[in-house]
Amino acid sequence: MGTDRYAYASRLRRMDPIAKILFSALVLGICLCCPGIVPGLVTLLLMGLLCVRWGGVPGRVFFRFLGIPLAFLLLGCLTIVIERHAPGTSVLLGIPVGGWVWGISSSGLYRGARIVSKSLGAISAMYFLALNTPMTDVTLGLRRLKVPTLMIELMDLIYRFIFVLWETAADIRTAQDSRLGYSSFRRGISSLGSLSSMVFLRAWNKADAIYSALESRGYTGSLDTLAGNYQSGKLCYMLAPAVGCAQLLCCWLEVHCFG
Amino acid sequence: MKRSLVNTYFLLALACLIPLRASAMHIGEGMLPVGWSIAWGVVCLPFVVYGFRSIGKRVSATPKVKILLAMCGAFAFVLSALKIPSVTGSCSHPTGVGLAAILFGPTITSVLGLIVLVFQALLLAHGGITTLGANTFSMAIAGPIVSWLVFRGMKKLKASTGLSVFFAAALGDLATYVVTSLQLGVVYGGLVKFLAVFALTQIPLAIAEGLLTVVIFNILEKYSKTELEELAVV
Repeated sequence: MGTDRYAYASRLRRMDPIAKILFSALVLGICLCCPGIVPGLVTLLLMGLLCVRWGGVPGRVFFRFLGIPLAFLLLGCLTIVIERHAPGTSVLLGIPVGGWVWGISSSGLYRGARIVSKSLGAISAMYFLALNTPMTDVTLGLRRLKVPTLMIELMDLIYRFIFVLWETAADIRTAQDSRLGYSSFRRGISSLGSLSSMVFLRAWNKADAIYSALESRGYTGSLDTLAGNYQSGKLCYMLAPAVGCAQLLCCWLEVHCFG
Repeated sequence: MKRSLVNTYFLLALACLIPLRASAMHIGEGMLPVGWSIAWGVVCLPFVVYGFRSIGKRVSATPKVKILLAMCGAFAFVLSALKIPSVTGSCSHPTGVGLAAILFGPTITSVLGLIVLVFQALLLAHGGITTLGANTFSMAIAGPIVSWLVFRGMKKLKASTGLSVFFAAALGDLATYVVTSLQLGVVYGGLVKFLAVFALTQIPLAIAEGLLTVVIFNILEKYSKTELEELAVV
């Protein structure tokens, strides 16, 4: 599902998840702190290259995933960019509404571009982790980073159960759809309602069965698993300062040469 | 003449945005400045810690609770990934805020919501890690609390279960997006704009989610009384 499918095929899959988590977090943090447009774009470029060239994620997959958050980004940015101006101010594009001019000014456009570039940079940093590390490795990494055990266990269990329930839901959906269950709004609501409640009931019964199975194998309240054999994340640790420096340098250059 | 043509194009471009609204749910990665990202995380902390404490207590009393809660969390994730038919013809995703709050209560919902949001950010690229705090506050804390209060309040006023569930789910859904608009409006100014884009357009979707939740709740009430009773103990 989602990014996970590609993470299992990644070349960096066997690398120590902690290294990848820290690397992504550092790049994400710097990208968010830097003002201006260039650092975000540089982050996007570098992390995209690392993902595709180093991790072996197909380029079109990376772009497709980049497009998913774009809907919110565009909507949010347009809401920010389109402002109310006093009549007579110079706007790039606008319509007069009731004595005011609603439209886009050049400063507003710059602001919007800054948010878009920052956001794309942050997304690409997050994708480096998500597209190269399966979720089970992420949770193992988080466990070693001393995130509370209860949270990790819940995450592990929820992650597993998502796939079980997803399959059930998808099967029911197909069955309903093929019987015209979604042909009108009214039908759609009632079909989706029965689907959701059935999934809930199945989930409940499954939880019962799983609990019985666990209990018969000596479950006392915690599920411990062994960590896999990971390659060392030395390369990641070496790359982190390089990428960080590149981001900071771009930020500095933009502020001092063009600011 | 040319001016009015430009204006027409401008309006047309704006109209094209409406279908976008349907797929835009959470505040995206990197949309909030560092200060606000951290601030929202800090605001969420007491709620989430309290939620963890209460889950921890229940788990140590009955280990089965952990499995049940995990199933509920997975259910919430799957529910939020389903497409809901909408009155306007476009599709959207239900938030599941109301149902979760009514079934599990706001304390547990805050923890499950947090985990679901992490998975949505990493697996589906909905929301983000840096905006996790803000999204958790709107979707896993504020929305569910409103839903729960509405549900309890209406039950106290002797309203029918169907009506209570409907308003709890619809208002919880709406509250989520009002909070999202506030979060964006505080940072970028123009609160009314954000309310118009994110909360006003949400009203038909909130109604659809309210109806859906009523249907779900009716079926659950009919066929799984025992589970619901067990849940009240959970």
